[in-house]
Amino acid sequence: MPLLEVKDLKTSFYTRDGVVRAVDGVSFSLEKGETLGIVGESGSGKSVTCYSLMRLIPEPPGRIDGGTAMFDGQDLLQMNEAELRKIRGRRVSMIFQDPMTSLNPYLRISTQLIEPLRLHFDVDKKAALNKAIAALEEVGIPEASSRIHSYPHEFSGGMRQRVMIAMALITEPDLLIADEPTTALDVTVQAQILDIIKKRQEVLGTAVILVTHDLGVVAGNCDKVNVMYGGRMMESGTAEQVFYNAQHPYTRSLQKTIPSLQTKGAELYTIPGLPPDVSKPIHGCAFYPRCPYPKTGAAEGDRPKLVDLGDGHCFADCHFCDSSAPIESVLTTDVPVEDITPAGAAE
Amino acid sequence: MSEHHEPGVRIDPREDFLVLDDVHTYFDLGTTLFTRESKGVVKAVDGVTLTVKAGEILGLVGESGCGKSTLSRTIMQLIRPTSGRIFLEGKELSALSDKDIRHERINFQMIFQDPYASLNPRMTVLDTLAEAIRTRHPTAKGNALRGRVAELLRTVGMNPAQMKRYPHEFSGGQRQRVAIARALATEPKLIIADEPVSALDVSIQSQILNLLKRLTREMGLTMIFISHDLSVVRYIADRIAVMYLGRILELGEASQIVDHPLHIYTRALMSAIPQPDPIVERTRHRIVLQGDPPSPLNPPEGCNFWPRSPVEHDERMKHEEPVLTEIEPGHYAANCPFCLQEA
Repeated sequence: MPLLEVKDLKTSFYTRDGVVRAVDGVSFSLEKGETLGIVGESGSGKSVTCYSLMRLIPEPPGRIDGGTAMFDGQDLLQMNEAELRKIRGRRVSMIFQDPMTSLNPYLRISTQLIEPLRLHFDVDKKAALNKAIAALEEVGIPEASSRIHSYPHEFSGGMRQRVMIAMALITEPDLLIADEPTTALDVTVQAQILDIIKKRQEVLGTAVILVTHDLGVVAGNCDKVNVMYGGRMMESGTAEQVFYNAQHPYTRSLQKTIPSLQTKGAELYTIPGLPPDVSKPIHGCAFYPRCPYPKTGAAEGDRPKLVDLGDGHCFADCHFCDSSAPIESVLTTDVPVEDITPAGAAE
Repeated sequence: MSEHHEPGVRIDPREDFLVLDDVHTYFDLGTTLFTRESKGVVKAVDGVTLTVKAGEILGLVGESGCGKSTLSRTIMQLIRPTSGRIFLEGKELSALSDKDIRHERINFQMIFQDPYASLNPRMTVLDTLAEAIRTRHPTAKGNALRGRVAELLRTVGMNPAQMKRYPHEFSGGQRQRVAIARALATEPKLIIADEPVSALDVSIQSQILNLLKRLTREMGLTMIFISHDLSVVRYIADRIAVMYLGRILELGEASQIVDHPLHIYTRALMSAIPQPDPIVERTRHRIVLQGDPPSPLNPPEGCNFWPRSPVEHDERMKHEEPVLTEIEPGHYAANCPFCLQEA
């Protein structure tokens, strides 16, 4: 049984201007110790997916309209507040994008770090503090025993994100949800933070959901990938399947827009148009208006179904993006997919 | 690395389009209230010498806090340099009075990172662009003015029928197009773009990058393109300058910087960019820098990179001030012997 199995998750916001279908039918599963990457542009529903799993959607205006999220035999979406409180911060933790705003500026790091321990375990303050110091050392904060008494403003952005990671992992959760954890950081610091998450994950056996808009971050860190667009899933599979054998035109277009994969001197490939407005009902394929190879009919009718290629590699089959689609795959590899070392096995 | 080892960047204020001659921009934090002790000086820009040729795109790369934004504001004369001189087409900007600068500034315009914050929410696109056009043509009005606004909007790939709309009615990418149109409205010679695509989605990023590159070529503009993202800069820039703690550590043609970077910091920056290819990403060698960029308040002495240097070094690195030196034709690097070692 997978650690987390999400089926057909639907979350909407009921606003004065209409219903915003932020997440519209998302399914995935995650095994213990695995890393799932959720990629998409802003407004694609990747963050709302995470907030729904943590039940952090403000209701109203938000509402989880349907679906199940079985976490270790229990449905996260059906739990009451008391049950949730037992799980949040204990078995499922979350790191947010902005380390500047997700720590309380009025409290010392020590107070904030021992809070989850004191809440979920029967430990005294001293033992909790020792554990917190050890947790800070594990995420690479020098002089942890003295710096633990600092306030958040005394830390730099990268250090604050380390504190967030230490706090999220201090209870040794089964699942860590990281919502754009490195987007606000410099590339050199991003590399450090991703390394720390990976190392801690190996030690603790935590499963990770990594939300990002950066395909590069996914490539190096994730076993599985979900590509989202307009609140829907466009493609999912292992990193190798999605990167080297991309099926959906959106995945391929996204790969093509990355500057470093382009031929030098040539004009950058662009996806024409704008991301869809999810406050209006989307008929047919969500990517249709921007699709490089649209066919008449894709804008109407039912939404394309997710088709499984037989090995867990799924894509939204708008029946135009079959293998004869004229968009060539961007990345290819000579190594057969079976021979590729999975992300977790890399040294 | 052979015969070219002259320290310093050659400058000629009369020849080059934009010249920065040993520019320093310091911020004095003042004194404490009672004891009157100095709170220190932030050395945001600490001795930058640089030339920009007419018609080229210079990429300025560095981490947050490296002084790249302060440097751009110093060139714009929004912040006056503490010392050093800045010439634009032979005219010394840093010597002009505030009044003269206002007049001169229509020749160099800026595009900011956040298109949500840099446009006035109470002005329609028409008002915003008309105001900018009038700084160059004070008498422009009526149909001629509207015609020019429509032309500008078409130039940046927008529908002129939308000129009566307000910024909130547009998406981030469209707002950035309006901001670009506003910068072009004064018919400038130099555009400074400060992280113009960082706030945008990947699919929109490439649209704006293509637009900026095309406009620079077609209109014969010169551009300084500032970004923390080397993978973006390498696409758009002709030459790249890498900044660290207020100084330039490496400068050269984009291909020189990207294909064979000399300074260990540039190599580390390049290697930190995640590659969107699972096999490459999992197997490649990365130079991991320790810690965060140090504060420009009390920057380290000597080669200011030493606290984060992943290479073995001794005391000399902490005391000997490196100089930007031409290592091969057109390719400069700070001549710290430890930072320039082969990997």
